[in-house]
Amino acid sequence: MDWHCTTTEERLSDFLDGALSPEDAAAFSAHTAGCAACTRVVAQVGALVSRMQQVPPAEEPVHLVGKILDATLGPRTPKQGWQQWFGWVPAIWQPRFAMGLATVAASLAILVHAAAPQGRNMSLADFNPATLARTANRQLHLTYAHGAKFVSDLRVVYEIQSRLGAQPELMGEPVREPQPKQPSPEPRDRSEANPNPHPRHREATDGSMLAFAVANRWSESLPNNFTRSRP
Amino acid sequence: MEPDAQLIQFCLRGDGPAWEELVRRHTRRVYNLCYRFTANAAAAEDLSQEVFLRVYKTLGSYQPTYGAFPTWLTSVARNLLVDHYRRTRRDRLTDSLDDAMPKLEEVHSHARTPDKLAQAAELSEQLQRGLAKLSPELREAVILRDLQGLDYSEIRTVLQVPEGTVKSRINRGRIELARVLEEMGVRPA
Repeated sequence: MDWHCTTTEERLSDFLDGALSPEDAAAFSAHTAGCAACTRVVAQVGALVSRMQQVPPAEEPVHLVGKILDATLGPRTPKQGWQQWFGWVPAIWQPRFAMGLATVAASLAILVHAAAPQGRNMSLADFNPATLARTANRQLHLTYAHGAKFVSDLRVVYEIQSRLGAQPELMGEPVREPQPKQPSPEPRDRSEANPNPHPRHREATDGSMLAFAVANRWSESLPNNFTRSRP
Repeated sequence: MEPDAQLIQFCLRGDGPAWEELVRRHTRRVYNLCYRFTANAAAAEDLSQEVFLRVYKTLGSYQPTYGAFPTWLTSVARNLLVDHYRRTRRDRLTDSLDDAMPKLEEVHSHARTPDKLAQAAELSEQLQRGLAKLSPELREAVILRDLQGLDYSEIRTVLQVPEGTVKSRINRGRIELARVLEEMGVRPA
């Protein structure tokens, strides 16, 4: 049988469903192997069908079943007892509500943990409103201080990193200085022993260079008249 | 879980809880069919109500020889969707420009969901917009086969057309949808 591009399109769903006879399947494959346009269509439609069959069903509105029952059976009798108060409970187990509730619960737990008095030896006096307020205030300030220290540390690290990145020649010079001849057969330049093509990496591995960069950066930040006296 | 046929017998004797169970069991299927076809949540909700109201009134006419209850239910829903499509034809012509514009609230709501949910929601939304561009015959065939999971004979029963026509519509619908999605810049892979 002559197999054309139109034949491929007509039999595409049969091919995807595995419903082609062995002869037709062979002709289908032979044609698509030599036809870029058909290969593309087969790949696109195959991927589309596969993805469509994985699309989860849309969730109906929570009140829809109730509205249908009201419209068919008539308004139902109001619920009695606990159902009157807790009838909304099943609705909150929908994924979006449940995830929201979990997030709120986690946030509250963090807040309570931060504000609550610490330690195991708690007494009744710890629940005094004044004590609670004082503890919460202390925790708040401690949290702020820890945060401020963390940010400050980050700033120093960033300064060092940016300094290392901005002035590679400053850090590279001591390494490139000619070394006195050593009797050992090891290469003179460290870069020969460790042929790392990235100069910044080589510099960052040297602790003394790091200290030098920090000292250099800090000395720049000092006032001009605050200079080291010559011996 | 009691089979649908038994629940239907109870319903025909006026058993309210049996009807409630039947509604709860099939609401999602009906709502999804309406939602995928109309691309409108409010219309899908109204149509779902209308479908179950029709089923409630005509449940006595259901015969097991017609096929499984979900197939019959889908037929009722499909007939109401055809009516709805004809009824709203004029509205769609005036709304077509609005449909072409991206909806801001949808973009915003997707940005706030976790990654996987956002991806699934985005795919579902793109698919929805692509389906809306198909002709109603191709659209319903693709929805019934690939989103509702009906087999060819069930679709033939629902659409009341020969199985060859069903296969042809599904095939053309898939190819057309892939082309539309490509034009929209969507990669299904």
